Amino acid sequence: MTTTIQYMLSGLAIGGIYALVALGFHIMWSAAKAVNFAHGDTLMLGAVVAVIGVDQGVPLPLACLLGIAAGGIFGILLERFAVRPFVGAATSVGWMLTTLAVGVMTEALATLQFGGFSRPLPSPGVTGAVHILGAGVYPQELFIPVFAVVVVVGLKLLQRHTLVGRAMQAVAHNKQAAALMGINVNRITALSFGLASLFGAAAGILVAPVIQVSASMGAILGLKGFAVAIIGGITSAPGVVIAGFAFGVMEKFVEGYVSTAAREIVGFSVMVLVLLAFPQGLFGKREVLKV
Amino acid sequence: MRYLNAIGFLVFALLLVAVPLQAANEYELRLFMLFLIYGLIAAGLNVLVGLSGLVSLGQAGFFALGSYTAAILATRLHFDIVACCISAAIVCSLFGALLAYPSVRVRGVYLAVVTIAFGIIVENVAIEWQSLTGGTTGLTSIPRPNLFGIKLSGFAFYGVLAGVLFFAVLLIHHLRYSRYGRAMLAVAQSETAARALGINPTAVRTLSFVVASVTAGIAGALYAFLNSYISPDIFTFSDSVRFLLMVILGGAGSTFGGIIGAYILTYLPEYLQQFQVWQRFAYGALLLLVMFVMPLGIVGTLRVLLDRLRPPDPAPAASEGVPAEKSLHHEARELPAELVATNLTVRFGGLTALSKVSLRVKGGEIHALIGPNGAGKSTFVNTVSGFYQPNEGRFELDGIELTARRSYDVARLGLARTFQNTELFGDMSVLDNVMVGYHQRLRYGLAGALLRTRRMRHGERECRAAAIGLLDFVGLLPQANETARHLPFGLQRRLEIARALATKPRLLLLDEPAAGLTTQEIDDLEAMIRRIASLGISVLLIEHHVDLIMALADTVTVLDYGQVIASDTPATVQNDPRVIEAYFGTSLSHALPEEVRA
Repeated sequence: MTTTIQYMLSGLAIGGIYALVALGFHIMWSAAKAVNFAHGDTLMLGAVVAVIGVDQGVPLPLACLLGIAAGGIFGILLERFAVRPFVGAATSVGWMLTTLAVGVMTEALATLQFGGFSRPLPSPGVTGAVHILGAGVYPQELFIPVFAVVVVVGLKLLQRHTLVGRAMQAVAHNKQAAALMGINVNRITALSFGLASLFGAAAGILVAPVIQVSASMGAILGLKGFAVAIIGGITSAPGVVIAGFAFGVMEKFVEGYVSTAAREIVGFSVMVLVLLAFPQGLFGKREVLKV
Repeated sequence: MRYLNAIGFLVFALLLVAVPLQAANEYELRLFMLFLIYGLIAAGLNVLVGLSGLVSLGQAGFFALGSYTAAILATRLHFDIVACCISAAIVCSLFGALLAYPSVRVRGVYLAVVTIAFGIIVENVAIEWQSLTGGTTGLTSIPRPNLFGIKLSGFAFYGVLAGVLFFAVLLIHHLRYSRYGRAMLAVAQSETAARALGINPTAVRTLSFVVASVTAGIAGALYAFLNSYISPDIFTFSDSVRFLLMVILGGAGSTFGGIIGAYILTYLPEYLQQFQVWQRFAYGALLLLVMFVMPLGIVGTLRVLLDRLRPPDPAPAASEGVPAEKSLHHEARELPAELVATNLTVRFGGLTALSKVSLRVKGGEIHALIGPNGAGKSTFVNTVSGFYQPNEGRFELDGIELTARRSYDVARLGLARTFQNTELFGDMSVLDNVMVGYHQRLRYGLAGALLRTRRMRHGERECRAAAIGLLDFVGLLPQANETARHLPFGLQRRLEIARALATKPRLLLLDEPAAGLTTQEIDDLEAMIRRIASLGISVLLIEHHVDLIMALADTVTVLDYGQVIASDTPATVQNDPRVIEAYFGTSLSHALPEEVRA
């Protein structure tokens, strides 16, 4: 019983991170029908900037804000210079490769900076464990899933009730029509990438105290975030968040009862199987081929 | 262009023979052999990237899979090098198909993600399954390669490697200039149009991925023998990026592009060893640089420069073609096709775009479908051509049920179409566009394409001749070698018709073929449609242009608000009060401008 609760809680924590990353992919995909393959590195960048900030004596909350801001700027710049020139081409090779290249470069630079070591990010959330039904978790781990839910609800409210949010939905639905209605599609797309990157960087900072900060932390989290987006359905925001939590919990159980390697094997196999049975993801909407 | 490729292969063969004779020491030869292995991976990956427009970031995974398969079989079961390579190829093709099929159905991006994941899984399995793979230590003392039990010397092994690479490049080159290569290029440029020509995009993409995974697998098998030691850390994500960079740098889609890229990226690290920490950064920077400065890669850029210097290839003469009258001739006993739609209903959410539409295109007639904007004409076309699935009702062609069939199946059964917004394969030549239309009529298989069998060459000659005849038929022969997207709009429309005709349809759907054409062009179009009908092809014409319809149509069906409001001869329909009301509005409720109602 205690083990089950333990796996559930730590699964929800890591699942919240996947959900945040996947939500970023959802936002970018909706805006541009393109994503940023360096999104995992956005996450890493946020955490790395925060650690460097703390090193330099910046107070923790400010360092975290700096990290999040750095992620957001990174995302906006990537959209402008790596994605936009290639969107609209017949295949997606262009923006995939440019964003991938930037990701590889960013990770290489961070490795030079960090020397391949892991660094802790201090947080009041990991000073002492709390016990719930015998399972010990950090408050930080309890906060992550709550934050993820707040973010997706906030996103929905933004889309329903604000002009910018409605413009985002309009762009997602039909770029040309949106442009004809006077929406600056480029600005909305840039904004979407920025927003997605803010969430990504925030995820990095939230997870950093739990798993430590390293130059390579982004790659696997980014990949799993995308896997979750595929499973949940990249067109559905609540879908990817639910899938994120489920994926995280499943991972913890497999890891606990089998092994770490099995965790990756099972996780990605589930992705392929879902893709086989539900090409649009579990909660995704079927996109009608426009003829 | 053909002789250029022949020269390329000759130079390539000479290099493969000359280099080992020149090699100063074993290390140099070994490095060159490593290049041959990378070249093999790049050549296969080029099919995926250059032809299908997809990206794999997991080639290192297939490289590892092939490597481990060969190493395990050679160590435990004493397989020789050929058997090892074949086994690696089989294993990799199975995994390739398994990964590609679910991913490429949805979006190209998914394949990239799935392949990254695959690379990670392979790495994890290699670490975890210690009894089989030796875990992190890997597999050591892989026996020296032997061929049918005879141990291969260093040079003999080199010969095997060089031979494998040479023939792999040659076979891939053959594939590129076969119906499969054309289909891959077509699917990458317009999936919609490819479907309408009877091409199954998922199958074509899966095939190109399998080619890439098989070559990577064989390369892996050869690598295991070359290195006689393999471990999980040899096959990382970085390597997958490097393989991809080889293709992009060398020139995606060109025969020798991958090889040249592989050469540069095998030797470059040798010179840059002191910058090791920057190596990964350099790969990223190089990839970025190539994407912005030289997106066609080295070979592609050279080709563009060369094309500027040389006079363009002369357009083929009409005498090289088979006249359309002959290539489209149907057997006398085959009656012109009859399309019958019964009670078709299509809903999009709450909107009923088509409501119980019944329509019959009689064999051999020109049937016009008209209606105000938003009446459901395009929905009807997209439904009967298999792009939308109807909620109710059914439709059949000559009694063959078409309901619930996929678009490419519908096309294979003899229903061809054009598109309101032209859907050409923009980067292919005009002639190639039409040859893609001939895809389903070519009967040779994959083996035939790879080996360029007599049957394949014969089929290709027929295909080319028919395509030339069709270009002549629509008056596009002088532009045969031009790139399709450079054609003026009016000619693009004609090209679409020629391409649709290449499928040898029994019924042709023309979706607003006169839209955007000049008066002169519309007159030409009228004559062309008449000639098409005279070949025994039934025509369903969706049009706004009233003069054209009145001049051509045998029957006119009018749609309004998704319902058929009239279907009769043009003269009768013209005077039908309901039709007049639909178009001009007589009652108060309909006295709105057309646009508002649409």
